Amino acid sequence: MPNAWKLLVENGIGNLVFDCPDTEVNILTSERLKALDTILDEIASNQALKALLVTSAKNRIFIAGADIKEIEGIQVKKDAFEKAEQGKKIFQKLEDLKIPTICVINGACLGGGYELALACRYRLACFSNNVKIGLPEVNLGILPGFGGSIRLPRRIGLLKALPMILAGRIVSAEDALKNKMVDHLYPEKTLLEDAKRFAQMVVKRGGFSRRAKKDAMTWFLEDTFIGRAIVFSKAKKDVLKKTKGVYPAPLEIIKLISKTVGRKGAAVYRLESEHFSNLGTTEVSKNLIKVFFLSEKYKKFRWTDSAVAADGIQKCGVVGAGVMGGGIAQLVSYRDIPVRVKDLNEKALAGALKEAMGIYKSALKKRKIKKHELENKMGLISTSLDNSGLKNSGMVIEAVVEDLGIKQKVFHELGDLTSPEVILASNTSSLSVTKMAESCRYPERVVGLHFFNPVNRMPLVEVIRAAKTSAETLEKTILFSRRLGKTVIVVEDKPGFLVNRLLLPYLNEAAYLLEDGISPFEIDTLAEKFGMPMGPIELADQVGIDVGYKVAHILQEAFGDRMKVASILEVVKKQGLLGKKSGKGFYVYKGRQKFANPEVKLNFSTKKVAAEDARKRMIYIMINEAARCLEEKVIDSAATVDIGMIMGTGFPPFRGGLLRYADSVGLANIVKDLERFQNQVDAKRFEPSAYLRELAKKGGTFYS
Amino acid sequence: MKKIAVVNGVRTPFIKAWSLFDRMPAQKLGTLCVTELLQRTEIDPNLIDEVIIGCVGQPIDAANVARVISLQAGIPKNKRAYTVNRNCASGFEAVTSAFEKISLGFDDIVIAGGAESMSNAPLVFSKEAAGMFMKLQRAKTLMEKLAVISGFRPKHFAPVAALSLALTDPTCGLNMGQTAEVVAKKFAISRERQDAFALESHKRVVASRQKLREEMMSVFIPPKFDISATDDNGVRENLTMEQLAKLKPVFDKRSGTVTAGNSSQITDGACALLLMEESKAQSLGYEILGTIAAYDYVGLEPSEMGMGPAFVIERILRKAGLALKDIDLFEINEAFAAQVLASCDALASKKFAEENFPGGQAIGQINPDILNVNGGGIALGHPVGVTGARLVLTCLKEMKRRGLKRGLVSLCIGGGQGGGILLERN
Repeated sequence: MPNAWKLLVENGIGNLVFDCPDTEVNILTSERLKALDTILDEIASNQALKALLVTSAKNRIFIAGADIKEIEGIQVKKDAFEKAEQGKKIFQKLEDLKIPTICVINGACLGGGYELALACRYRLACFSNNVKIGLPEVNLGILPGFGGSIRLPRRIGLLKALPMILAGRIVSAEDALKNKMVDHLYPEKTLLEDAKRFAQMVVKRGGFSRRAKKDAMTWFLEDTFIGRAIVFSKAKKDVLKKTKGVYPAPLEIIKLISKTVGRKGAAVYRLESEHFSNLGTTEVSKNLIKVFFLSEKYKKFRWTDSAVAADGIQKCGVVGAGVMGGGIAQLVSYRDIPVRVKDLNEKALAGALKEAMGIYKSALKKRKIKKHELENKMGLISTSLDNSGLKNSGMVIEAVVEDLGIKQKVFHELGDLTSPEVILASNTSSLSVTKMAESCRYPERVVGLHFFNPVNRMPLVEVIRAAKTSAETLEKTILFSRRLGKTVIVVEDKPGFLVNRLLLPYLNEAAYLLEDGISPFEIDTLAEKFGMPMGPIELADQVGIDVGYKVAHILQEAFGDRMKVASILEVVKKQGLLGKKSGKGFYVYKGRQKFANPEVKLNFSTKKVAAEDARKRMIYIMINEAARCLEEKVIDSAATVDIGMIMGTGFPPFRGGLLRYADSVGLANIVKDLERFQNQVDAKRFEPSAYLRELAKKGGTFYS
Repeated sequence: MKKIAVVNGVRTPFIKAWSLFDRMPAQKLGTLCVTELLQRTEIDPNLIDEVIIGCVGQPIDAANVARVISLQAGIPKNKRAYTVNRNCASGFEAVTSAFEKISLGFDDIVIAGGAESMSNAPLVFSKEAAGMFMKLQRAKTLMEKLAVISGFRPKHFAPVAALSLALTDPTCGLNMGQTAEVVAKKFAISRERQDAFALESHKRVVASRQKLREEMMSVFIPPKFDISATDDNGVRENLTMEQLAKLKPVFDKRSGTVTAGNSSQITDGACALLLMEESKAQSLGYEILGTIAAYDYVGLEPSEMGMGPAFVIERILRKAGLALKDIDLFEINEAFAAQVLASCDALASKKFAEENFPGGQAIGQINPDILNVNGGGIALGHPVGVTGARLVLTCLKEMKRRGLKRGLVSLCIGGGQGGGILLERN
């Protein structure tokens, strides 16, 4: 195999070019690291060299990082330690070179790539959207192990480095310059020439520095014992609040940096390798890596073999200006696509505008957009009480109330109004898209497009293939959804589709547990400890008891007694306790606090349910239903279930996904527990599906 | 010659300055209108070659406000846009510029209109005060700064409203209301006639509310959107002659007759029209509102600028070879009741014709029943850059409703001009 590293010398300036053969991406495998080691020895002994540039021969990529497959393969702690040591020794060699070293960042520079950059004396980058810089290791359940955890705090200060590593944040060239993660930016076209000139300048002047003075507060927090203690304790508190302690990597990072910050010598690097090895073999990390590959795969997954290359949608219509309609309008306008919102009710239209404005204002506050962008994007949303402006939309998304009759009327009207190439999509969460299409002219352009609430934040959409949906319609809808920044799963037109069909039984089971005498706090804590972002009871309040009840009923009608709605839901709904929107549901909400609602009469039974059983009942009921979905071919694979549940419900990624988790528990164990629950709790709800029984009997797994 | 059609148009409600639209700059009002026009006509934005917007008080934070409006309305970046200013006829100028561009083949499809936020006219400091502020900014040391600060006097902190400056003609030294007084006195237009005319304007707007909604869009007021503007809000429902009579003259306090009640209001709003060749409209499947048969502008004595309509109506009729009776509907913008009435009197006057018109022949008396049938600027308000476009829209919609053939819209222009457009329907 040809060497990925090549040294070119010109006027005493060395240019070490990284160019991984036979690929478009530069990745640091251990083999390439070894090759780097060899070439660095040559460079060190080359007396003629006055300075060294490190560059990439790839177009939009400097170095995308270390080889994730290799990290995934690490099985024992010692290997993890060795791997980190090997890499950082080579980077140390780079740092120890006597001549100035200049890293020339022309594109993505992530993880191990940026750790290499940090080992250089200077970092230059270019004005280009391709430049993305950061240490995202934490997202894979590990920490920067090639010296990055040590060098970044040194380069940019603890206050900036710590949150950067803890969040695995990736920044633009401009932000990297502001943060001093790079020293200078040049035009993309002349980056290499400018870097060479920069090298000559450094050689001539003997250095380059743009260190600014620290203000007193920064000095106190970064350079005093007490200050640092405050920083680390605050960081730990934030992490625990955000992750509930189920992710070990951020905590390990805080531990490591608190031990190493401000210290010199080889020992700190060794510490980094040790802490890396604590994480490198964990199941959490393995699962996160699997989920990373999964989400990469689903970004581009080919769901159809349609040859359509672009959605061609230049304008979008939305019918129904509720919370979902408003959210969809905001999302569409955010991608600079004009959107026309229709509703029969002026108040609803105003609500949609308010919803969109609220999202934009909070983005403005978080500096995700600028003031002029808010004006431009809000300007793309217009409202109407009639059908004007819908006819020339590329897609019209229906988001009216969940009532089949009303939806059919809307589709009938839209079908007559629009020409056959206009895609008509329903944002229904559980009703039959096929039945809606029946009322419509040219039903092959009717499709389901199920967004999740809140639309701007939930990364998943379910694209529903109705009986007559054409491949072209499906593909265009998928492409459009991706343009909106969403991950797509394609689901067959069965009640509840995938996510709600699994999620509702989970919420329903939580309600049964309430009836069994467990407090809402206990139930929510159990789920949160498992890793769910929010407990089921609070989630029910968030979604709205009336909404949840309605969907639950649709599912009961479709699937019979195994989805029988817990009676407490009906009681609470009749009491008018609708959840967060009405201030009261299972909890009472006051400001940011919540209390168990005394109006909800609990203790229907005094059976004592063990905590472990309670958790199993909630999770296994989903697994069992997912098996049925696979059996009925509602979705194509276990991976689709996992990506759907992670992105659609926040199912904990560190578990690897619902069905990967099931595999790790063992399907036979799950069937056994389900059978036990059949005897102890309910024969229908926990009846193991044929598919699951079969797999368990064979000793198989969902993923095999 | 090409026939240029107005396909459709839409305007915001006309809203009294410093009320509902207080926080909405001209670019926002214009954007809302152009967006709505694109939606209502369902035209592909890629087909719009140019956006031309009339605006007198250009927002200081939106130079070439037409371009800002064009982009914010989602019209592609490779399209063109410019802003025009012919003072009170800026809305006309946008329409006639579009006419010229399309006629000459530079553009195929144009959006023309006006956008004006009189609420957002800035307050300005005197040149002297501005100089002091600049010096203060440049001063480096504390001593230098103190030296500049010590030079400030209270008068330096008294800003001047740009709006009142804009409404004053620097060549004759009179503000617009004072020119109305000049005209009222010269043509002996009594206070009672002016007030009666004003009252009629309000009555007609009230009676036409439903009709006017056809040319309007609702505007939800940001950032909360909980209030929506659906009607013009300057009109007074139960206005009486007695109430009007109580008002004091504003521009000549002793012996004047022009009051706030018989003058147009200071107003915010926007209007947008879609123009293209008639044949183009047909090929795109549009039913058009009407065509522009002729237009013209005239110059006259600045201190009598209110007579502009008389001069321009005569000129348009003469050049088109038409008589007064050939016109089915008239709009004369009500900047001031005095000026509308004086213009009408002048058109009927043999003496005035002999002194001022080439033929020396009086044009005739305009039937008040076909003049400003849905009311005018006194009740609706007169957002200076917008009114011209509104007159075209209002007149065409009324011609359509009544099945009329010809309409003539005109207005007087601060600085001593008149403008008019002859509209036709088949």
